[in-house]
Amino acid sequence: MTYRLAPIDKSPFAAEREDDFTVIGSVVQRSDARGHVTGRTEFFEDVAPPGLLHLKMHRSARHHARIRGVDLTEALAVPGVVRILTHADIPNNLYTPLKLIGVEPDDEPILAVDKVRYLGEPICAVVAESEAAALEGAARVRVDYEDLPAVFDVEEALAEGAPLVNEYHGRNFFTYEGHHCRRIRFGDVEKAFGQADHVFEWRYESAPIEQAPTETTGCVVIPQADGRLRIHSDTQACFFTLDNTALILGVPFNKLRIVGGTVGGGFGGKVDVIVEPVACVAAMMTDRPVKFVYNRYEEMQVSSPRAAERIYIKDAVMNDGRIIGRKVTLYVDSGAYARHTPYGTTKAAAHMPGPYSIPNVWADCHCVFTNRTPSSAMRGFGVTIGDFALESQMDRVARALSMDPLQLRLLNAYRDGDLKAHRKVAEGTALVEVVQKAAEMVGHELPEAYRRMSSTTREGL
Amino acid sequence: MIQAVHLPESAEAVAVHSARGGWIMGGGTVVMPLVNSGAATRSELVSLRRAGLAGIEVRDGVARIGAAAPLSSVEEHPELAFLRPALRTIASPTIRNLATVGGNLFVEQPYGDLAVCLLALDATCEIAGPAGRRDVPVAEVLASGIAEGEFVTAVVTALPEPGTWYYHKAMRRKLNSASIVTVASVTRTADGVVTSTRIALGGVAPRPVRAVSAERLLRDRPLSPEVLTEAGEAARADTAPFDDAYASAWYRARVLPVHLRRAFAGR
Amino acid sequence: MPSQIVSLVVNGEPREFIARPGVTLLAVLREALGLTAAKRGCAQGSCGTCTVLVDDRPAPACLIAVETVADCSVRTLEGVAVGGNLDEVQSSFVDNFATQCGFCTAGMIMVAEALLDRDPDPSEEDVAEAISGNVCRCTGYRPIMIAILDAARRRRGESVEGIEGTAPARPAEEAVSR
Repeated sequence: MTYRLAPIDKSPFAAEREDDFTVIGSVVQRSDARGHVTGRTEFFEDVAPPGLLHLKMHRSARHHARIRGVDLTEALAVPGVVRILTHADIPNNLYTPLKLIGVEPDDEPILAVDKVRYLGEPICAVVAESEAAALEGAARVRVDYEDLPAVFDVEEALAEGAPLVNEYHGRNFFTYEGHHCRRIRFGDVEKAFGQADHVFEWRYESAPIEQAPTETTGCVVIPQADGRLRIHSDTQACFFTLDNTALILGVPFNKLRIVGGTVGGGFGGKVDVIVEPVACVAAMMTDRPVKFVYNRYEEMQVSSPRAAERIYIKDAVMNDGRIIGRKVTLYVDSGAYARHTPYGTTKAAAHMPGPYSIPNVWADCHCVFTNRTPSSAMRGFGVTIGDFALESQMDRVARALSMDPLQLRLLNAYRDGDLKAHRKVAEGTALVEVVQKAAEMVGHELPEAYRRMSSTTREGL
Repeated sequence: MIQAVHLPESAEAVAVHSARGGWIMGGGTVVMPLVNSGAATRSELVSLRRAGLAGIEVRDGVARIGAAAPLSSVEEHPELAFLRPALRTIASPTIRNLATVGGNLFVEQPYGDLAVCLLALDATCEIAGPAGRRDVPVAEVLASGIAEGEFVTAVVTALPEPGTWYYHKAMRRKLNSASIVTVASVTRTADGVVTSTRIALGGVAPRPVRAVSAERLLRDRPLSPEVLTEAGEAARADTAPFDDAYASAWYRARVLPVHLRRAFAGR
Repeated sequence: MPSQIVSLVVNGEPREFIARPGVTLLAVLREALGLTAAKRGCAQGSCGTCTVLVDDRPAPACLIAVETVADCSVRTLEGVAVGGNLDEVQSSFVDNFATQCGFCTAGMIMVAEALLDRDPDPSEEDVAEAISGNVCRCTGYRPIMIAILDAARRRRGESVEGIEGTAPARPAEEAVSR
């Protein structure tokens, strides 16, 4: 069993190539490998400051409910429990992580106030001398709920009369500059459907996908002698976390220091600012180091997954395979809060109608609130599921036309200089060459006319 | 929270702690995840690790396997080689170094493939408890459990005659995956037809079950693919499949005949 | 029952510590003894990141109440490199790019050590079975299997194959400094 380093294929775009690479094309040891194989790489949980306290969360047992009361009596009586934080202890309890780039409104509490909007939402944080005591304390918090109707489906959430999930948005969708969704309007799709030889419409759907990092989300916060907090975290976004945490704590950014960058698997699941703020508050209130780390169940159940999506694609297609119109209606399930999903939905819109030159495009991409676990980033979020839908659509169109699916793609592939639906001129596309190379590598025969196509010319079109 | 971990050095001493409400722990593969997540319902653990219950003896065609024997020691025992393929379908080698024979009787389906084997083998459980010792067929232990304060000290089984042991487990992956359907059987044939058979199934009911309908159907008939498929279809009457992350109840029922056939015919 | 003093032989050295009832071997290694190579990934025996050798057998340390292994021998990744020199498994993991995020590495190496101690010439299937209790979520199983097979060859004194058709890997610093 051996593997081979794939040689770089330098034949396409030979004239544009510069060959002064020092790393690409050669074998270079990973700079972190020695630390990994000796066990000396320091992950956040490898720090063990003296006097460490452990934080465990009491979480919502309901999908959607009003909180009538929280009783901490039994929890506080557990030996070893030091303190229990509620929303009243968090200086700026309401936030949204993308506020750093101007996204509004703040829509998510660090700890629930009067309502829970998804199963597993944090309500209060139990800080104790040992992990076992913190777990015991968290289990003994009593919450009195008044159940509210819940909604779990994006289209049901947008229907008339659906229960309102998130009052801060006022509607069950994120509003983009006054619009109910992210839109693309290019040409006239309805006219294209009238002119087309065929109209194909299909529906695609995905479930939420958990990133499932082997190292769970967590942090250790250590108060420093100079009054600052040192945060050891496995966040994938150190400065993003630092800035958001400072805003939530209401302290200047320079009062926090993040030690991070060593992540035991993230895959997008560790860009939310979810454990650090409450651990920092606990460390400030107790003046002791505090660890807050998800257990495996929390990682799977409450850490934000890749969003579920539902996508309708309707294509206007000519007999020769040219797609002259594409209408996309896309719903992204944000769960109960926005987090990174308004951005993911924008990415989804930006990705439509795929890497194809289609003269008439219409897209509505909705960021929808439901009572499901808030979704967020994961490897190409907003794009991956869209690609699944787009490429499935291409295969189905090809099949319906009895056409080679690669030829259908080559015929419609964007070329350098094409105006995309977003009014950007495409450059450096290379899709034609990639499809040709892939066909060659798998022994898929293409006719001469298709082998001669290029992303830099309009030959063969 | 756990208040005490006891390490009794004899079955008698285990019985004392068990009678006081201690939680019997073999390898810890079931108990410790609950301890670690704060979900343990009892405060005292009673480890069997030093209780002298891990021995394996094979004499005169009968094996007596201590309840605290790790699955790996059964796997490695030269005279229990017929069980080796079955054991290698259970979890991973690292888990098999901890998980015990006794513990396997009490894990939830779709785990517990050794229990399925022991049911097919018509093994007997030696049980100790406040009321003394008793021997109980494994079928009874699997169906109705044991009394509060009791614990299994060993399982005893006759070794199957050469050529009479069959085992097959359908999994989502080749290694370390729970059962979709497990089939274990001791089946004797003469002149090309089945003279006696005992078939146990895992993965298709809340507990390991006997496929009595399939057993009835196979008697005096050849182990041909057609007859086996018929028997597998009949076996659905003996099951109560469930949905889980590995497979749906529908799927388990659908593929049961295929895997029952494969257990005997190999394909 | 109060906490008690428990002893273990860890990487050949006798160690004593105070253990609360029910505390895991993993917590003791990491928190009491400062040996943090073994990781907590799931605390339920599913991921294998905490695998250590107990009396020479690999097992997840998160499933072991430490009192139950009192006086046993425990071997962790910290005990593998002698005098700062990587052993065959470690150097093979480096050379074959068998690490990515590094979180599964300690468990993978300990499983490999136990396998090679028992069987100096394992088959690909043997390696796959040996690591079947260890999750690599970066999904680098193939390089890990290659590295373990390569380590077996190195330990048997056979030539180091490395990656077919390429020059040996250069240290990262050298590539960057150019």
